[in-house]
This record gives sequence, structure tokens and C-alpha cells, in this order.
Amino acid sequence: MSNKQEQESEQAKSFLRWFRGLVLVGLVLWLGTVVYQNGTAPDSTKPFKLGLDLAGGSHLVYVADTSNVDSAEVSELMNVLRDVIERRVNIFGVSEPIVQVESSSFASENQNPRLVVELPGVTDVSEAVAEIGRTPLLEFKLYDEGLVDQIDALENLSTSLGTASSGKATISMRDSEGGLLERGQLPFKDTGLTGRYLETASLEFAGTNSGRLSNEPLVNVRFTSEGADLFATITRENVGTQLGIFLDGELISAPVINEAIVGGTAIISGGFALEEARALAQNLSFGALPVPIELQSTQTIGASLGAEVLEHGMEAGVLGLSLVLIFMLLWYRLPGLIAGIALLSYITMMLALFQLIPVTLTAAGLAGFVLSLGMAVDANVLVFERMKEEYRSGVSSREAAASGFKRAWNAIRDGNITSLLSAIILFWFGTSMVKGFALVFGLGIVVSMFSALVITRTLLMLIPDVKIDQGTLTAKLLGSGLGQRQNLPQKRENSNPNST
Amino acid sequence: MFAITYRKIFLRIAAIVMLSSVLILATLGLNLGIDFTGGSLTEVSYTEAPTKKTVEGIVTGIVSDGFSVRESIDDAGKEAFLIRTSDLNDEQRQELTEGVTSIGQDGELTRFTSIGPVIGQELKDKAGWAIFGVVSIIVLYVAFAFAGIGTPVSSWTYGGITILVLIHDVLVPTALMSLLGYFLGVEVDVLFVMALLAVLGYSVNDTIVVFDRVRENLKMNRTEHKKKSEEVGVVKEEVTYTLTKPYEEIVGSAVQETLARSINTSITTIITLTALFFVGGSVTQTFALILLAGVLAGTYSSICIASPLVVTYAKYKASKESKK
Repeated sequence: MSNKQEQESEQAKSFLRWFRGLVLVGLVLWLGTVVYQNGTAPDSTKPFKLGLDLAGGSHLVYVADTSNVDSAEVSELMNVLRDVIERRVNIFGVSEPIVQVESSSFASENQNPRLVVELPGVTDVSEAVAEIGRTPLLEFKLYDEGLVDQIDALENLSTSLGTASSGKATISMRDSEGGLLERGQLPFKDTGLTGRYLETASLEFAGTNSGRLSNEPLVNVRFTSEGADLFATITRENVGTQLGIFLDGELISAPVINEAIVGGTAIISGGFALEEARALAQNLSFGALPVPIELQSTQTIGASLGAEVLEHGMEAGVLGLSLVLIFMLLWYRLPGLIAGIALLSYITMMLALFQLIPVTLTAAGLAGFVLSLGMAVDANVLVFERMKEEYRSGVSSREAAASGFKRAWNAIRDGNITSLLSAIILFWFGTSMVKGFALVFGLGIVVSMFSALVITRTLLMLIPDVKIDQGTLTAKLLGSGLGQRQNLPQKRENSNPNST
Repeated sequence: MFAITYRKIFLRIAAIVMLSSVLILATLGLNLGIDFTGGSLTEVSYTEAPTKKTVEGIVTGIVSDGFSVRESIDDAGKEAFLIRTSDLNDEQRQELTEGVTSIGQDGELTRFTSIGPVIGQELKDKAGWAIFGVVSIIVLYVAFAFAGIGTPVSSWTYGGITILVLIHDVLVPTALMSLLGYFLGVEVDVLFVMALLAVLGYSVNDTIVVFDRVRENLKMNRTEHKKKSEEVGVVKEEVTYTLTKPYEEIVGSAVQETLARSINTSITTIITLTALFFVGGSVTQTFALILLAGVLAGTYSSICIASPLVVTYAKYKASKESKK
């Protein structure tokens, strides 16, 4: 190979290095402007998603009582429940509510599924709870002669027992199907026909010859085909019996079944006032709950407080970032500057991911992100320390950088894989709050590895190739940083031309 | 290398720290917050706050059992009260809200959390499982990644020591939390569990970097002996190694060479945590403090516990074998 050719190929290599570096920096800058626009534009399609603790709002957790439902049906019923609640929530105009089903993990003894409702901006939790709770639970039950006697007996026993032992003893009694009887219970037994089989409900008025007061407001209920079949069976088998219609456990009417009803519709009449009947029809068609739910936990954060937390978190991030940048620059000089660029790229990429995935940012997630700023430079530090050793032993800067990366790789790999495994387990086991933290933590590991291995490496290769004994400005900038120690590790003495 | 030369002192310090941490935890316990026990937490802030007595008076009228009222400052810098009660029902919550916002100047409900006891228990279970899962996967990974490290101690030793170090690093911040809870009434919440898990990740990373260097130095400073033997026609090859330098010297130089990295990464992490502690707002203040303790403990342990312990164990093993 002639000298000229060598020179040309060296030039081509150098061009390629610069080209790669510029493309990378350009990409990151472009990403930065996209992130900035997405984050600040008022009509952005991909804004930062703030969790309730930063934006303010209410977080409600309901437990669904699925003990009376076949376990195979639970997940389907929960989806129905979610849709119903979502419709209710949408009615009172909250922007971007989140309604999701959360099944308990196998690590828990309580297996009832939950419904998590997040209402950004709603800080009056009582109002929200009332709105959600207003949805009625509709049940159809059959009058049972046998139960009347049992309940009477229970009542008598309890009363006499209560006076005899001043209420310390309790008595319990079960019906023919094993259900626990309660004092004061109405003598109706479950038919399995509930609001889950409801398709629509509408307001009607009684005709003149229907045997009711004319123009009495009624609620006409239409069942789904499955519900219609069930309703037909029940009415066919129980002609002459009273069918109790219960709303939220309260008997509102108990008409006698005259004949089998096959049309799949039922009329609820309970001497309603017009407004009552209209509200009932509306509530029913917007969703009678398929299973009863109970509020288990609530959390409300005032909007001003959330904004304050966000502001403080960002201030901490900016301060932490600047201090880390200064430290890296002082200690590692030129490579430190490159690590700084890599760190800024890391932040840009993370923010872009937050917008794209999207990751809901919470106070915990924000704290995790700030923490990751400190740890993200770790891979850089590992490489630079290795590189410094090589460089001081007389190897040229570019060679030192290459072998620094090669030799630090094992440590970077093992350290990051264990951290990543921890993040995955956290994500797996965690509640929603822990999941947010784990996601930020896990993304941080992957992205910081990318920034160190790709961005730092590419930029480091751009530095003119120098040796420590050249004494030029670049050589000094690459040198030791403030960490110059006299007792350098003397391991690779044979490769060190300056060794004494 | 100082850490290896004076290893007995460093290990003794670690033992004392761990022992006192356990003692603190055993005597003072942890002040579990409503995230774990269930209950309600209400924060109400004022531009001009009423006296604590007035607030207590209002709460007494609504809740029958135990409650506590603590003065605090909310994140906007306004005077506030934190009211802890048992799990409130709808009616009680409404009464409480109306009661406390009607007194003082511009009373505002800034935070309300109510957690049922079931969720609290489940959270406890989950936190336990998560920590257990993380620890076991780490042991397995380290043992696997360091397999074949051979002489003089097996890869499982490195895995086991990583876990011991982990326990140290988690004990220190937990003991700090116990002290904070006892003296300042700070409560253990979900954030604390997250801080501990982050400490786990940090600590393992730190220890592995040192062990990785030990692994590398071991490979550079050993000679390989291959012994072939034939048994029933099957050729078996047994590889044994002899170290060309004393083990403690190899470990010592590994610690020395990773010292700058250990300290620098700690410094950058401590910088960001300090920023979080001072300007990050009250919500994450305890989180930052706990992490700071964890990172300091992690740095100490990766330099002054992990490697010295390997050397001590190797010496112990050698003396036992020579006695045989």
C-alpha cells in the first residue's frame, strides 16, 4: 500500500467519523426540538402526561364483589363494569379520565378484582364518589313463601335471645341455598337476573286501559337476548308469584307474574314522580352495575399542590444536572464535556420516550428520573477511568478510548443487567405507583447504556489522536483531570515507555 | 491497598453498623404509614392557620377513635395541618372537610388519602415479594456471570457476598427511617419501599464493578494447568489454576483500580440526591434522604466490605484446608 493511498483511506475514515458524530448530534438536537414543541404547544398530540399527584385530581379504588359470580365470567363482567363506570365518568365531563380494571396479584390473599378510577382535576372527591355511586344496582328477585317463616323465626329467636343475654350471643340462619339470612330481610330470593342483562331503559307513560293510573310515569326495561331468555324462564316457572324489583337493595315494586313474558321487556312501576322515573331510566340505561362495588381507597391532591411538586422536581433536576455537568467537566476535561453531551442526549431521549409511550409522570417517577441523572454517567465514568489508565501508559488517545470501551464492557453489562432485572421484577409485582417508578428506572438503564456506548463512543473518536507525552493542548485536555495521582497502577509496565 | 490491609478494622466497623442498625430497628421499629396500615390522611392549608387545638377540637367531634394532628408546611409554603385518622366513610369525610376548611383564613383541602386495610396488607405483601424476587435474581445472576472464576473461591461466594453487602446497604437506610419515625414522626410509605429498591439496584451495580475487576485481574495473574486422564476410554480434562500473585494482592489492586470510579459515581449520584433533598419539595424529601444514606452505605460497602470479605473468606478457607 502506497503512502498516498494510506493517507486517502485515513482521510475517508476521518470523514466517516465526523459524519457519524454530526448525524448523531443532529438527530439528538432534532429530537430535542420535537420534545420541546410537544411539551409546550397547547394543542400538542403528545404532551407530557402528568400523574394525579402532579396535576391534581382524585384517585379512587373500588372493590368489586364477585363472590356470587362464576369465576370464568369475572373478567368479562369487570370489563362490562369498566365500560359502565367509564360512561358515568364521561357524563360529568372530566378530561381524560382513566378507568381500569386491576386484578390482584397472586401474592395477595384477596382475590376480588378492583376498579381504579382516576379523575384529573376533580378535587371534590365527595362529589365524584356520589356521581359514580349513583349508578343503581338493579336486581329481580322472587317472593319465597319458605323464607317468610324462616325470617320470622329468626326475628323471634333474635329478639328473645337479645333480651335474655343482653345481645352478647348471635344467631345465624341459612336459607335453602345456603345464603346467610339477615334480620329484617325481605322474603325474596335471587334469580340471577340483574342489571348486567339490561340493554336499555326508557321512560313511558301508562295507557288509559292498563289498569294503572293513566299517564303514570313508568320505566320500560329491555333485556339483552340472554336476559330475555332468563326472564322468560323465570316468569314461566313462577306464574302467580310476586317478582320483586330491587334497586340498590331496596324493593321498589313487586308485581305478580300473570303469565310467561317472552318479549324481553319489563315494566317497572313504583308510583314514580315524573322526574324520578326519568332519572331512573337514564341511570339504568347508562349502566346498571353488573356486580356490586365498594369504595376501598381514595386519594385527592389539590391542583396547586401538584403544580408545586412538579416545579420543585424540575428545579431539583436542573440543579442536579448542572452540578453533575460541572463535576464531570472539572474531573475529566474534554471527555467530561463529551459525557455532558451524552447526558443531555440521555435526557432528551428519555423525555421523548415519556411523550411517545406515554409514561405517566408522578412525583415518584420524577424523583427516579432525577436519581438516574446521577447514575446515568456511571457507564461513562467506568469507560473514562479505564481509558485514562491506558492513556497514561502511553497508548494513543483513540486506542485508549477503544480499549477503554472494550475493557469496561463486562462491568457495564453485568451491572446494568442486574439493575434491569430488578426493574422488571418491580414492574411485575408493583402496584400502579411502583410500576411508574420501575418503568422510568428500566428505561433509564437502557437509554443510559445507549448514550454511553453509542454517543460517548462516537464523539470520543472525534478527538484528534494524541499521546500523553506530546504535551499539546489537546493532550493536556485529555489528560488526567483533577484526579492526577502519582501512584498510578503499575500493572501494564511493559507497555509503558515512560515507566521508570 | 488500604481496604485490604486494614480489612479487619473495616469489617468490624461494618459489623458494628449492621448490629446497631438491627438494634435500632428491633427497639424502635418502623412507623408504618397509612399506605400499609390503612386509614385516612387529610392535609388542609391556610393563609392564616388556626391553632392546633381548634383543629383537634373539630376532629374529635367527627372521629371517635385515635387520631393525630401535626403542624406542617405544604409545598406552596403555606401553613398546614396533617390529620391522620382511621379509614373515614363518606359522611365523616364530608364533615371533616367542611369542618377544617371553615376555620382559619382561606382553608383549603390540599390532599386527602384514604386507604382501606386490605390494600395496605396487600401492599406489604407485594413489597416483601418484590424485594425477595430482586435479591434472588441477583444472587443467581452473579453466580452465573462469575462462573468459572475458580481459584480460590467459587462464584457462589461472590454471589453470597453481594447479598451480604446488599443487606448492609438496605439495613442502614432502614435504621435511619426507624430513627426518623421515632424522633420526627416520619412514616414509612410506598416511596420508602421504592427508595430501598433503588438502593438495591445501586448497591449491586457498585459491588459488581469491583468484582468484575477482581475477575479480570485473576485471569491476568494465573497460570493454567491441564491434566488429562483417561477413564474407561473417555478422556477427561481437568483444568486447575495457580495464581502468580497472592490473592489478596490481586483483590487489592482491583479495589484500587476501581476506587476512582466508585467515588466518582457516588459523587454524581450524591449531587443529584442532595439537589432533590434541598429543592425537590417535601413529597420526595424523605425519599432523597433515604437514598443518600443508601448510596453512602453502598459506596462504603463496595470498597470496604465486599472485597475485604472475599479475602477474609479465602484465607479462612485456605487455613481450613491446610489443617486437613
